[in-house]
Amino acid sequence: MTSHVARLYALAASILALFLAWIGIDAAPWQTEQPPAAAAAPADPAAAALAAYERRLRRDARLVRRVLAQRERQQSIPAPPAVRIVTAAPAATTRSS
Amino acid sequence: MSRHAFRAMGTDVELLLDAEGAEAQAALRAAEAELRRLEALLSRFLPDSELSRLNRLGELAPGPDLLAVAEAALAARELTAGRFDPTVHDAVVAAGYDRTFELVAARGAPTPAVAARCGGGVEVDAASGTIRLDPGVRLDLGGIAKGYAVDRALRILAQHAPALVDAGGDIALTGKPWPVGVETADGTITLELAEGALATSGRDRRRWRAPEGERHHLIDPATGLPSEGDLLRVTAVAGTAAEAEVLAKALFLAGDADRAAAEADELGVPAVLVTRAGHTALAGGLA
Repeated sequence: MTSHVARLYALAASILALFLAWIGIDAAPWQTEQPPAAAAAPADPAAAALAAYERRLRRDARLVRRVLAQRERQQSIPAPPAVRIVTAAPAATTRSS
Repeated sequence: MSRHAFRAMGTDVELLLDAEGAEAQAALRAAEAELRRLEALLSRFLPDSELSRLNRLGELAPGPDLLAVAEAALAARELTAGRFDPTVHDAVVAAGYDRTFELVAARGAPTPAVAARCGGGVEVDAASGTIRLDPGVRLDLGGIAKGYAVDRALRILAQHAPALVDAGGDIALTGKPWPVGVETADGTITLELAEGALATSGRDRRRWRAPEGERHHLIDPATGLPSEGDLLRVTAVAGTAAEAEVLAKALFLAGDADRAAAEADELGVPAVLVTRAGHTALAGGLA
């Protein structure tokens, strides 16, 4: 009876030890923590320059597309007639139709 | 100066011709006949008009006028990225504008507003002279047909003398500098131009009683409901009355006055913007 209880204690103690070891290994205390930006940055300076160049190209392409779309809209609307504000009495008056 | 006033296209029309005599009178009568001819073709309120037949049948080989107006309306839809849309017919009807404005104004809208889908498919086949509508799509050319008719009437008068055509605020003119009044928040300013057109779109005239208070006819195709922006009315200047109508409506539906003014500046469209709060802004090079 006594030896049976002792075996149970020994089993519980070994399971507890196993869990503690698991938690310790999972925490990986031997790895030093790095900020996310530094972790994401490529180590190679040439690759970093290439990535920056790609970002600049994409930004320029967006700008060019916006300017072209604006020009297209402007060109598809015929130039308005010359108009000026005067003080003469109107011959007709425009209103909501 | 010869003047000729009459009622057509659901509004008051006035023709001015800078000439006198029998020839001038004949030109004025011819211009009136042209406006009436186009109303008979393009009105959605006349059951025998070509437009009503197209809306009933879904496909039609109409005469050159409906073909031209439908083509221009689709081009305007493209140009304004859908803000001007001739397929708002069902949304206008759902808002209560299902008969001539005089009858709608007298009756009001008995039921709450219901959104209706806009932006349906329309195909204009210029080669075969046919217009085809997708199932359930109907056209309302009210936002461009009057301008087209005004341009056509002006063309007749312009053969004789300097002329001005005013159909309920859609104005086209030619031949000499004409002073034209534009309503602002607190009065009128006068613009002078020798060639071109002006049109005004607003919620201050074609409006009627509704359960929620008041409703108007300018449908925002994005919602299928009357627009709820902060503008009261927009006047736009363009080369033709049809273009001015489209631009005034597109600027009105920009949503708010600041955005409308920025678009008028960007596109170089002279415009007068009046807000519901009572402010007036000049844009597109007007100063």
